[in-house]
Amino acid sequence: MRIAWTLSINNIRRKLFRSFALILLVLCLSFAVFAGGMTIMSLQKGLNSYTARLGADVIVVPNNATSHGAVDDIFLQGITGNYYMSGRDIQKIYGIEGIEAISKQFYLTSAKASCCSSRVQIIGIDPETDFSIQPWIQDTYQGKMGMGDIIVGANINVPLSRTLRFYGNDYYVVAQLSRTGTGLDSAVYTNMATIKEMAANSVTLLDTDAFNSVNIDTAASAVLIKVKKNKDAETVADDINIHITKVEASSSRSMIASLMSGLSGVSRVIGILTGIIWILALVILMTVFMMISNERQKEFAILRISGASRKILFEIMSMEALLISSIGAVLGILIGLVIVVPSASILSGMLQLPLLMPGLMAMIMMIIGSFALALLATLIPALWSAHKMTKSETGLLLREDA
Amino acid sequence: MKLVAQKISRQFFRNSQNTNVFEAVKETDFVLEEGKISVIVGRSGGGKTTLSNMLCGLLMPSSGKVFLDECDLYALSDDERSKIRNQYIGIVPQGQTGLSSLTVLDNVLVPVMMYGDPETKKEEAMTLLYRLGIDDLANVYASDLSGGELRRMAIARALINNPEIIFADEPTGDLDDETTQIVFQLLRELADSGHSVLMVTHEKDALEYADHVFEMKNGVLL
Ligand SMILES: Nc1ncnc2c1ncn2[C@@H]1O[C@H](COP(=O)(O)OP(=O)(O)O)[C@@H](O)[C@H]1O
Ligand SMILES: [Mg+2]
Repeated sequence: MRIAWTLSINNIRRKLFRSFALILLVLCLSFAVFAGGMTIMSLQKGLNSYTARLGADVIVVPNNATSHGAVDDIFLQGITGNYYMSGRDIQKIYGIEGIEAISKQFYLTSAKASCCSSRVQIIGIDPETDFSIQPWIQDTYQGKMGMGDIIVGANINVPLSRTLRFYGNDYYVVAQLSRTGTGLDSAVYTNMATIKEMAANSVTLLDTDAFNSVNIDTAASAVLIKVKKNKDAETVADDINIHITKVEASSSRSMIASLMSGLSGVSRVIGILTGIIWILALVILMTVFMMISNERQKEFAILRISGASRKILFEIMSMEALLISSIGAVLGILIGLVIVVPSASILSGMLQLPLLMPGLMAMIMMIIGSFALALLATLIPALWSAHKMTKSETGLLLREDA
Repeated sequence: MKLVAQKISRQFFRNSQNTNVFEAVKETDFVLEEGKISVIVGRSGGGKTTLSNMLCGLLMPSSGKVFLDECDLYALSDDERSKIRNQYIGIVPQGQTGLSSLTVLDNVLVPVMMYGDPETKKEEAMTLLYRLGIDDLANVYASDLSGGELRRMAIARALINNPEIIFADEPTGDLDDETTQIVFQLLRELADSGHSVLMVTHEKDALEYADHVFEMKNGVLL
């Protein structure tokens, strides 16, 4: 053991180019495995948390909500907008067959908020009927939202006073939600009565008719529908689209299906790429080890003369490989952490998919996994070359010309 | 310790026109006596190194046996035989054999590092280096040494575990006359104190120090 340690440390220190090249290779490998794995896990977690939370089979928005874009945004990113349908149209939805539960949502963009420089999306829900947002809210807040209470997303800055100002009134923040990785993190939630008050205030304060003459009291921005067990969501959506002209209904299954296939496609590509990189690194490391085996062969012969058994030669090879791959893997994973974690939101925007960093446990598992893969990729070629070099007895003899 | 070889021979496989088997050492007996220096002379390619490798436990004979006292060397496992080489057999190989990433002192201590604690032998190592005239190079890396210095380092390395049997394959090949004499004298002293020494050499001077002289020609020991 002593010889393995002394020789490895000194070989790494003294054969700088060789060690540097090997460490760099392992670094790239562990970075690729770690970053790739983290991205897949983040995508999966983001999507899972989002779809699980949404819970609606059909979403209905007004026609003027830029046709399809609005539904996409709600589904994929949790981004809402200022579009409204009248109480009359909504009433018609209640008449459609096959509906199990129905809940209205009212969206409002604040013109100027005291909380943050950017505009904030306010989402009004009906606590009596809501099945989409409340289950998620309940993770952090079990109480009942009263008049004037608001709950804010993870990205909203909550001042010490715990109040945010909207259209001349202060609203009290009763809770802050956990991160979702979607636009919902930048939204503010409240009940219908409160958001209607805000909406009415906005009209008087700004003196505009942002609501297109729609009656604020009965209007809504979106209607979320849960379909009866034996009913098909597509059929319900089609029914709505046929019978009510001013709204557009989309089934979540069709959305999620395309989203899921998109995600699994991305995951598969990342997975395959990571696998290819691993195999490539293995092949390169095999080649490198083969290339340096001439030099090593003489080293082995010298050690052999001094009484090294094959076992000791293997120990030396393993120790050096382990040291080199540990250094490379630690650096690669550190760089991965520094790069991947902060760029999650950028990546999320690029892929147009919700992305959520995995939890600490999952992260630790990823670190251990990437570390093990990097170690393996070095250890396999090292042991393979050690095996080749020690296989024949004459191969371990000093050669005349050496 | 007594080293006895019984009817050992060694063949190598190599591609040639007539036959693929080449007999580097033809069947021979050999006894290495305690307290004596045995010298093998002969032309290059005669099989001296091959014979010496078989005797010191590095190369299994194609036939025959090698005994160290009562112990049949090649009946042992690689682990056991390696440990015996480490403890009882000191080998000064042909050519230049330094581990370039270690210092001279660490190179000398390599045999100690394998099965023990090198700290305990540091002083002895320095004494050996002093005798061989390279103690001032103790902390220099082997990659910076000349051929003659490397050779002396290899001699110190072979002697560090105070082995009872010493093999030296052309140990004075790249040494000047003065150092050559130092090495021969050192081997003589070791033999006189009971060690068995086998030396392969071209040097005529070596014969003065020899107790037994053998000649090796085309694989035959005369
Ligand atoms: N590993 C080997 N494979 C094939 N031939 C070998 C091997 N080792 C030595 N020989 C051959 O055996 C012969 C004797 O070599 P060697 O013992 O080194 O001679 P010497 O030490 O007397 O110069 C040479 O012809 C050499 O080419
Ligand atoms: Mg020779």
